[in-house]
Amino acid sequence: MTRMNRDVVVALLLLLFCGVFFWESTNIRLTDYASMDSTVWPRLILGALTLAAMVYLWEAVTGRVAVDETGGGAAADQGETGGGLLAWIVRYRNALYCYGLFFAFLLTLDVLGILIGGTLFVFLALTLLGRPTLSLVPLHAAVALGSVGFMWAVFTFGLRVFLPEGELLSIR
Amino acid sequence: MGFEPLWGAFGEVFSLYNLALMFMGVTAGLIAGSIPGFTITMAVVLTLPFTFGLTAVEGLATMIGVFVGGLSGGLMSGMLTGIPGTPSSVATVFDGFPMVRRGKPGLALGLGVWSSFFGGIISAVILVLLAPQLARIGLEFGPWDFFALVVFALTITASLSGENLTKGIIAGLLGLLVAAIGEDEVNGVARFDFGFDAIEQGFDFLPVLVGLFAFSQLLSDVRDPNKARLPLMTSDAKAVRVEHVVAIKMVIANWVNLLRSAFIGVFTGILPAAGGSISNILAYDQAKKASKVPQDFGKGTPEGIIAPEAANNATAGGALITMMALGIPGDIVTAVMLGALLIHNVQPSPTFISDNPQLAYAIFVAFFLAHFIMIVMQAFCLRAFLWIVRMPMYVLAAVILLYTAIGVFALNNVTHDIWVLFAFGVIGYIMKSLGFPLAPIILGVVLGNIAELNLSRAVSIDNDVTLFVTRPWSLFFLTVALFSALFPWYQRMRSRQRWTLFYLPAACLALALPLVMMGGWVRPLLAALLVAWAVYMLFRHHQAGWALPQSEAHGSGAEKSG
Repeated sequence: MTRMNRDVVVALLLLLFCGVFFWESTNIRLTDYASMDSTVWPRLILGALTLAAMVYLWEAVTGRVAVDETGGGAAADQGETGGGLLAWIVRYRNALYCYGLFFAFLLTLDVLGILIGGTLFVFLALTLLGRPTLSLVPLHAAVALGSVGFMWAVFTFGLRVFLPEGELLSIR
Repeated sequence: MGFEPLWGAFGEVFSLYNLALMFMGVTAGLIAGSIPGFTITMAVVLTLPFTFGLTAVEGLATMIGVFVGGLSGGLMSGMLTGIPGTPSSVATVFDGFPMVRRGKPGLALGLGVWSSFFGGIISAVILVLLAPQLARIGLEFGPWDFFALVVFALTITASLSGENLTKGIIAGLLGLLVAAIGEDEVNGVARFDFGFDAIEQGFDFLPVLVGLFAFSQLLSDVRDPNKARLPLMTSDAKAVRVEHVVAIKMVIANWVNLLRSAFIGVFTGILPAAGGSISNILAYDQAKKASKVPQDFGKGTPEGIIAPEAANNATAGGALITMMALGIPGDIVTAVMLGALLIHNVQPSPTFISDNPQLAYAIFVAFFLAHFIMIVMQAFCLRAFLWIVRMPMYVLAAVILLYTAIGVFALNNVTHDIWVLFAFGVIGYIMKSLGFPLAPIILGVVLGNIAELNLSRAVSIDNDVTLFVTRPWSLFFLTVALFSALFPWYQRMRSRQRWTLFYLPAACLALALPLVMMGGWVRPLLAALLVAWAVYMLFRHHQAGWALPQSEAHGSGAEKSG
């Protein structure tokens, strides 16, 4: 997808987003005691956002969208447009690993808790992002255990913040 | 009021026990501030239970230590990892991180530490000398004025957007929309929950901030597998030593920037609900506008570090005076301190300073002292923190991602906040990949509720909308907002189009009107000075035949390189 096409798609998605939120704003309950209805402020924002999205669409169609040169992903993507889905997955694999692992960490938080789940998350993230060699894997395990264990101890014993302990650890 | 309460306060604050508590408080604040996701608010909240058994002076001195330490600690993570440790150090990242990336971490950290110190000391001096007078300004503000102030703060979005003005505005509006999701603070009505109970309570600022910044930054850093396995910094140990002497010289050489930023910080701090998260961006914005080399901002210029760091520490002083003089929290941290005062049966009110002079001065002295302790302790904390950046980036990324989850959870002790963190982590990464600047979103999220609350209050009191332009402070801020919004165009067109010659004189003349409306003699005098300056500038342009300046070609070249 070319850059201009991408901006057009993003602008159209933004307009769709505004439409969905406008529609949802009709579900906001109106009270008889309010001097300013709860819909006023969000609709003001949505109106301005719709206008800005239309300007963005016009800029995208006419090719006036400025190219981000500040190190954002868009700039990095210049010249990396080809390759299809597989290439895209390869390009973003580290980000996908992290999101996938974090999602799994959240899903299993009730069972594993912060201590076990967090250690597993850090260990797996380290192993996937780094090199899973025989010499590094024990180091990754040590870093995961040390870093998570230290912070867990600081919060639990030092600050008395009870982090989710998980069903596994709560069985005594 | 004589100086006896001040000497008495010195005696209490400088007791060995209190000094030990303050050292612990500052250290805890520095560590808390340096961990992304673990905010000063959280640190102060967690300190509160420990102060129950202390005297009012000891308890507040400890909390002030945490407050000052946290404000200064935020710069460490912001500069070294690109993730602001606290909302107060968001703008520090803009230039601190690039400077570290350019191989000058010692100088970047030194500039941050000493700007924080000088900013804090300036605000402490101002507060001790002018506390009652400064506090009176806050009393003049009504909801119209607050709303106008927030509108002004929102126009900064334009400056934060760089080339992508439309995308920046969209990002700012998305931030405002995010703040509007969940229970409406005014009427208690759920908005945009799409039938999900989890969304009904809305999103806390912290998970949104950390999600947007932490995930997008960390995942951008590890996107390239080869680079991810390299350390964040490859310079040797000598290069990472904090360059105190050079930093002090640079900060003093930038004394105009330092003073302006400290004043912005104090002024912003005095205004309720406009805390360090706004002042650091305001000061950065003003420093960029006043700079001779605005094109260097965002690339690691010392001015871009001095301004936000001086301002955010100075904000703390302003917030303290509002809390003590008016009984209104300047920000969330002072709201917690307000609670601590009440626990010790001290009622903050406009008569607080005259009723409890020793306690009031003890707070000022503790605030003063905390900055000296911060300098001493930061040297140790920095050494500990600096070795972290020698690790490979993927190690930092994996560990920090988990730490953010822990920090975010500790805010409310609910896993919902970690899900919010994750969701905004995805959104932030996608937006960054699409070239949307993230800072305007944060501005929108911070200011959204404040804007709506004050707009609603204004409408409740009087539905006459002309009050927004007939009240002096409101008119003042709306005028500043208008010229601030136009500033990017002015900067781009300067030395290219003739209308830019009228921009500054017009701004001065427009600001003179609300100053005259404020009455008294000081403000009309300021107005007269502004008018005189505007006339002088117009006269100079007339003498030059309305010729465009030749040498100030910031515009095109700067934009192209920035």
